[in-house]
Amino acid sequence: MTRMTQRKGGSVVLLQGNEAIARGALEGGAIFCAAYPGNPSSEIIETLAEASKDLPIYVEWSVNEKVALEAATAASFTGCRALVSMKQNGVNVTSDFLTNLTLSGTKGGIILISCDDPSGISSTNEEDSRLFSRLADIPLLEPATPQEALDMTKWALELSEKIKQIVMLRSVSRLSHTRSNVVLGNLPDFKQRPHFDVSSPFHTFPIIEKHIQRHQKLEQAREMFEESPFNPYRGPSKPELLIISSGCAWTYIGEALDLLGLSHRVGLLKLGTTWPLPKRLLKKHLQMCDRILFLEDVDPFLEDNVKSLAADMGKEIGLKEFMGKASGHVPDYGEQSPGVVMGVLGKLFDLDWERKRYRDKVTPWEEGLIPPREFGFCAGCPHRGSYYAIKTALAWDGKEGFVSGDIGCYSMGLFPTGFNQVKSVHAMGSGVGLASGYGKLEQFGFDQPVVTVCGDSTFFHAGIPALINAKFNASDILLLILDNSATAMTGFQPHPGTGNTAMGTPTEPVDVEALCRSLQVHVEVGDPYDMRDTARTLYRLMKMDGPRVLILRRKCALVQKREEGFPYLMEVDQDKCLGESCGCGRYCTRIFRCPGLIWDKEKGKASIDEVICVGCGICAEICPEKAIRMEARI
Amino acid sequence: MKASHGIGQCELVNKVIRQGICVKCGACVNLCPYFDYFDGRIVVTDECHADTWRCLQLCPRADYEDTSLNKEGAAHGDGSEIGPFKEIFIARAKDEEIRGRAQYGGFVSSFLIYTLEERLIGAAILTGKGNEISPSGVIAKDREDILKCAGSRYTGAAGLAAFNRAIKEDGEKLAVVGLPCQMEALARMRRMNPDGEERDRRVSLKIGLFCTWALDYRKLQNYLKTAGIDGSILKYDIPPPPAQIFHVQTEQGWQAFPLDDVRPSIQEGCSLCQDMTAEWADISVGTVEGIEGWNTVVVRSERGSQLLSGFIEAGHLEMRELPEENLAHLKEASRNKRKRGNSAKKERRRKSS
Repeated sequence: MTRMTQRKGGSVVLLQGNEAIARGALEGGAIFCAAYPGNPSSEIIETLAEASKDLPIYVEWSVNEKVALEAATAASFTGCRALVSMKQNGVNVTSDFLTNLTLSGTKGGIILISCDDPSGISSTNEEDSRLFSRLADIPLLEPATPQEALDMTKWALELSEKIKQIVMLRSVSRLSHTRSNVVLGNLPDFKQRPHFDVSSPFHTFPIIEKHIQRHQKLEQAREMFEESPFNPYRGPSKPELLIISSGCAWTYIGEALDLLGLSHRVGLLKLGTTWPLPKRLLKKHLQMCDRILFLEDVDPFLEDNVKSLAADMGKEIGLKEFMGKASGHVPDYGEQSPGVVMGVLGKLFDLDWERKRYRDKVTPWEEGLIPPREFGFCAGCPHRGSYYAIKTALAWDGKEGFVSGDIGCYSMGLFPTGFNQVKSVHAMGSGVGLASGYGKLEQFGFDQPVVTVCGDSTFFHAGIPALINAKFNASDILLLILDNSATAMTGFQPHPGTGNTAMGTPTEPVDVEALCRSLQVHVEVGDPYDMRDTARTLYRLMKMDGPRVLILRRKCALVQKREEGFPYLMEVDQDKCLGESCGCGRYCTRIFRCPGLIWDKEKGKASIDEVICVGCGICAEICPEKAIRMEARI
Repeated sequence: MKASHGIGQCELVNKVIRQGICVKCGACVNLCPYFDYFDGRIVVTDECHADTWRCLQLCPRADYEDTSLNKEGAAHGDGSEIGPFKEIFIARAKDEEIRGRAQYGGFVSSFLIYTLEERLIGAAILTGKGNEISPSGVIAKDREDILKCAGSRYTGAAGLAAFNRAIKEDGEKLAVVGLPCQMEALARMRRMNPDGEERDRRVSLKIGLFCTWALDYRKLQNYLKTAGIDGSILKYDIPPPPAQIFHVQTEQGWQAFPLDDVRPSIQEGCSLCQDMTAEWADISVGTVEGIEGWNTVVVRSERGSQLLSGFIEAGHLEMRELPEENLAHLKEASRNKRKRGNSAKKERRRKSS
């Protein structure tokens, strides 16, 4: 029994935000849960997959977010409850299906969880997925605490089933990854029997009619939101300033108001149901005060929508002063934090808030204690070998070649750890699509070689159509699939090539090589640890025309370490090491930069960090003096 | 390249590689991981930050301290026509197998096989034929290794990269066969800091090959590709004037191309060269105009002379006097190259200043 399933209703458990969402889904009776991994959302499915050992539910890692939503929707269409979760970018991937699904409507309760990553802490972008709720008329909930995350998820499934529409729940990194005590509810019996009622098909026709219905469903949700307990107000009845907020930003405001001694002067309305807005509730609160401040993560979503509502209600509520991202009072980028909120309020109330900042007290103390760290591939990472080989082959060729890159671990090719070879990074699989375009530019005189790189998981997610496009249009594309047998950066979730599912069931792995060969493109397989040989292969492939695939296969170092370990004990022969001298110039620590190699300042020689070094052995190849020695581990 | 990088690498890149005047001698390759030679190109693999710079000291095109080298050159001999020498003659190997595989008279191959088998040298640094990719330096350790490298390449092939590799592998008593630029790099090496003297000590014999110019491998490949040759090439030959022909031997036999069509592939850096007969070598070797299957041999140093006398005594060589008119013509050609190189150098300096 896992923590998620053994605890009964009423017990108090310390839960992470994402675990609370998972528990909420279970209490709400979601029997079909699907997702594609992506920070900060991944733990939801991982938690549910764990729970599936004890409960009659189905959990899957899907090949991408759109497929995840489609698969989960099948459960809804047959009258069962379902959950689909993703990071903000994932919502973009689902969007084509999502904007159609909201016209057809759903049956069994279904919830789409979007975990946004304000400031793009572990993302390629900063994006506010809430805008999709407006775009496609989807009821939207925004929890602020793990307790709300649980309660809202559970309630969203009921709401969805009631109005026959998918419901969105937006979390953010800080909520998904924070932990607090949560009071659990009871688990249901999960006795749902899927049946598709063939007399009630799901489609978008007639479109106008369905669009009208979609608006009616939104109005139904709005009515329920008016009385929702998720929209509490705290503060005086006649505040000097009314703050309207949602999600995590709300918790920072409470903290800031207390610290600044403003609790008795400022009113704080927290909205948990943020689309559609509860009109009557807002009217009541807007009438309390003429100065309104909006504080929310990423885009001015509440800000714009409340202002629009206030314009409609102008005659009744009068003229207001609105402050927020549009007025410049609040930064219109990056995530909110107690510091940011204190700054905004400090200025508005003319308070000396800077001194009170914890960070300012800590900074002088921490100096020198925390070593600087840069983005880097792990010790033993096969991608270091792959990018080294790419660097070598492109240098050999000497025609300003570059890498059209992919997200995740591969994006680190932008940095010194990947020898700065990657020159563009956008969305999953986009590097491959870009490369299929570069591959058609030769007719206009383009002669720079382009190597595109994607991971195995990305290849399944979005790389395949781009490769097929290159094949179809006879584009000169050279695709490197860096097959590390893991969805590494998000935490080693299984994918179609790994041979097991989210629930741990063995499954026949999809053979990337066979799949590429079936397209009749030129396919070769190499070993990223054999850097010189891989560079030679690459150089040869660069001279060929048409679509070519090179699969560089090595397990993610973290997986390898866990499963079988590495074969070598490494040592630097400091008598041989040239250090800074001509002939080396600290090549291993300055250029190759594996964190297992360190610079012994005292001796002016390289050395091995025995704690970090895993013993993959590839650095022995790059030492010009063969001073890095490998010895077989016993 | 910005000056934040190692001064030596930065200078070499800006003054030589970016200017397109690198002659691919290979002296800078395998000294460190920052230069590589691959498929006919000297490649900057990474940015060096060292402030000691052997690469720059060695480069025959970087003009680093070249005045002093010229002075020494002048003191070395007459410094005008074909450089200092003790004797000059024409010769060919008696061994017919060697002659059959060599470009002309097989002198170099035969001499090397003798010195190697007599353990007078430890290994020979030669230029291999290459197949899928360009020719490159080879460390030859037996007769077959040597014969595999027989014949002229006509392209810059960074043979000295193999010399640097041999030094790393603790090679001793090395014989180096190379073009005039490569002999110059080895001459510069003697005064190179910090380990030039030690490296020079490991050289037992320098055999220089006459050279008018060398071709850029990639340009030549492109030319041959457009001319319909796309496969392995067995041999090249440029018959003496006035033929004006470039001969290429493939599996299908010999094909002739107008020399003027091949000229655009000449390495730009070769136009700056003033040395036709490899004046920095112990022994220089070339063709003999009008006498097919023989080599012109110029003995320059005491060391060369000594090694050669043993070879001659062993009876491996047929020798004849170099006809007067051949010597006169050789001197004229050499003078002309010096003149051309000198004015090209002046022109380049004028343009850059």
